[in-house]
Amino acid sequence: MSAPEKKPRILAVDDEEQIRRALKSILTARKYDVVLATNGDEAIDLAIDNPPDLVILDMAMPGLTGTEVCRELRNWYEGPILMLSVISSDAEKVAALDIGADDYLTKPFSTSELLARIRALLRRSAARVTPLPVIQAGDLEIDIAKRIVRRSGEEIELTRMEFDILAYLAQNADCVVTSKMILEKVWGPEYAEDAQTLRVHISHLRKKIEPQPSSPRYILTETGVGFRFAAS
Amino acid sequence: MQTLYAFAKQHSYVFAVVCVLIATLLFYPGRDDFAKGQWALLYLLIVGLVAGLSGVRPALLAAAMAFLLWNFFFLPPYNTFVVHDPKDWLSLIVFLAVAAAMGMQTGRMREREAEALARGREMAMLNQFSARLVSDASISDIAELLMNEVTQITGARCAALFLADQENKLYELTSVAEGNCHLEPSVARIAEWAYAQSKAVGLPQIEKRSDPAAAGWPISVDYAQADAEDGRNDLFIPLQTADRQEGILYVGPRTDGEPYSVNDARPLVAAANQTAAFLERKRLQSASVQADALREADRLKSTLMSSVSHELKTPIASIAATVSNLAEQDVEWDSERVRPELASVQEDLDRLASSINALLDLSRLESAAWEPKKEWFDLADVLWTALSKIPQKQKSRVEVSLPDSLPMVYVDFVQMARAVENLLANALAYCPQAAPVRMGASVDEESFRIWIEDEGPGIRPDEREKIFEKFYRGESSSRSASGTGLGLAVTREIVRFHGGRVWVEDVVPHGARFVISLPLEEGPESR
Repeated sequence: MSAPEKKPRILAVDDEEQIRRALKSILTARKYDVVLATNGDEAIDLAIDNPPDLVILDMAMPGLTGTEVCRELRNWYEGPILMLSVISSDAEKVAALDIGADDYLTKPFSTSELLARIRALLRRSAARVTPLPVIQAGDLEIDIAKRIVRRSGEEIELTRMEFDILAYLAQNADCVVTSKMILEKVWGPEYAEDAQTLRVHISHLRKKIEPQPSSPRYILTETGVGFRFAAS
Repeated sequence: MQTLYAFAKQHSYVFAVVCVLIATLLFYPGRDDFAKGQWALLYLLIVGLVAGLSGVRPALLAAAMAFLLWNFFFLPPYNTFVVHDPKDWLSLIVFLAVAAAMGMQTGRMREREAEALARGREMAMLNQFSARLVSDASISDIAELLMNEVTQITGARCAALFLADQENKLYELTSVAEGNCHLEPSVARIAEWAYAQSKAVGLPQIEKRSDPAAAGWPISVDYAQADAEDGRNDLFIPLQTADRQEGILYVGPRTDGEPYSVNDARPLVAAANQTAAFLERKRLQSASVQADALREADRLKSTLMSSVSHELKTPIASIAATVSNLAEQDVEWDSERVRPELASVQEDLDRLASSINALLDLSRLESAAWEPKKEWFDLADVLWTALSKIPQKQKSRVEVSLPDSLPMVYVDFVQMARAVENLLANALAYCPQAAPVRMGASVDEESFRIWIEDEGPGIRPDEREKIFEKFYRGESSSRSASGTGLGLAVTREIVRFHGGRVWVEDVVPHGARFVISLPLEEGPESR
């Protein structure tokens, strides 16, 4: 991928010197503007001074943990936050996502994974400003405004719920969304815990849009966390 | 008086007969001085005495004898059982009735009193025993106390306590055997039988269901059923709780050879039940202690998991990121830019290796698979070797000050160098960048010391022991440093293997000094 015109600024926070070094090397080589912080307090100060376009945040840091920093930032910061974790459980990932992180990456990660996540997050945050009326993903075309879904030009009939779920997933393409986030968005906050219902709807949705529902290509399961819509 | 009382109790019928005979002998010389009826009153006195001292039945015997002797010696015609005066017949019958009634009444009172006294004593003993049971006494203390109580209550000369081990096999925990009483081999055999059957042997059965002791009373069989000879008169009482048998209480025969009555056995059964409850409590307690130990082991294991996975995964993550970065085709990598990337990978690999080494060291030390191989070495050599293991970048921060001559020391070279290296690495990691770390040594008559001093924040007094524990990382200083939390634990193990000590002390104005002190050992060859 070619580097964007205006260099996006990325704030990378990790207590491990070697990880910071690697992040800096990877990101500067791709023409990102990188700011490093070694702990949570420093990260918050840096973010306030000059809000970055994206924050990469290690979950397990001494002092303020990544999750705590994320909560702090979310009080005012609207840009994407990518969490890095080395040993965290699904529950911790879900907790971080629920308090406002946009995605996570488990260490060890490869350069291409990291770059793909960053691109997806930056794309989505750009889309937040001007939402796309039509989303293209492979042979799938989702017309948000007209509430129409086509596969290879052929219209697919979806229920209202199924369409809402798909639209929400596609608007967050390539980013993980927790079950809770989908439920709150589609059903309302009082249904946030009803993951079973969501799984049933996802199963129906896959049967309708996936070429092979048993090995999904569009709606991927993030075990223990939620789902991810694969656009590319 | 005491002996008379004891005699009246133990040989009650003889006492009754003797009393009446002596009275008759005393009365006889004066039989014409008093009216015949007055002798009857004196005889009643004797019956009363017997009743009071010996109980109901001896009193009845005394009454019958007095009736006959009064008739024979004191009612005319003398020295025959013939009675002339019909009024005397009336006196005789009234005498017999009154004597019998008085004997019975007095005897019963005495018996009740004696029983109440005995019960009172038993209760006092049991209370004392229970008080000890709820205190934090050990099993062996309680066993000894139980033996004491049992022999005191019953007067038996021998007693024993058999307990079940974890495989439910019975063993003799303690026993007493005095005088001619000794524990025959048959005792252990019958005890095992009683334990296997959960039954008492030789214990009298409680007759009335309404008896308050009936609920805790064990089922008992006679000796023949336990395959033992009859007439043993000893007791095997199971120590039973609701769901388990803890063992058997053995009580030897009474000194008078009589079988135990229900009343005799009451305090024994009560003591056995209390002991069983005590043993069960002890067993549950030790089970809970074991559970605590398991929980602690579990906690340590999960600390190990998170510490190890963090320590091993972090350098791997860094290597993976760096290597995949170099492998990506989207960026041109010239050798100038590749070199620092590779150096970084090298650093991660060093860190990985040292984490793995620390883990292996500790597990080898803990399983005692790493016995020190001691030989004579130059102490200075050990210290320089330790320093050489420190990464080049940090080595310049270490200032070494050694006395002119250091002795040869009898140590495992590799282990001791590792112990010192860990202290150095620790000091370098936990004190401010670029601040110096000093290493030195000193020797006196009996020992040599190696010390490593930093200018870091120091170690809080409450942490000075804990930092040598596995995975413990100092609260105050862990912000910047990384590590497995194993280095100091490894050092302590090594030093301990060498019979020495390692500790940390304060440095003025700030900093910590780690000191290893080892005895100047006599080796197989002279120094």
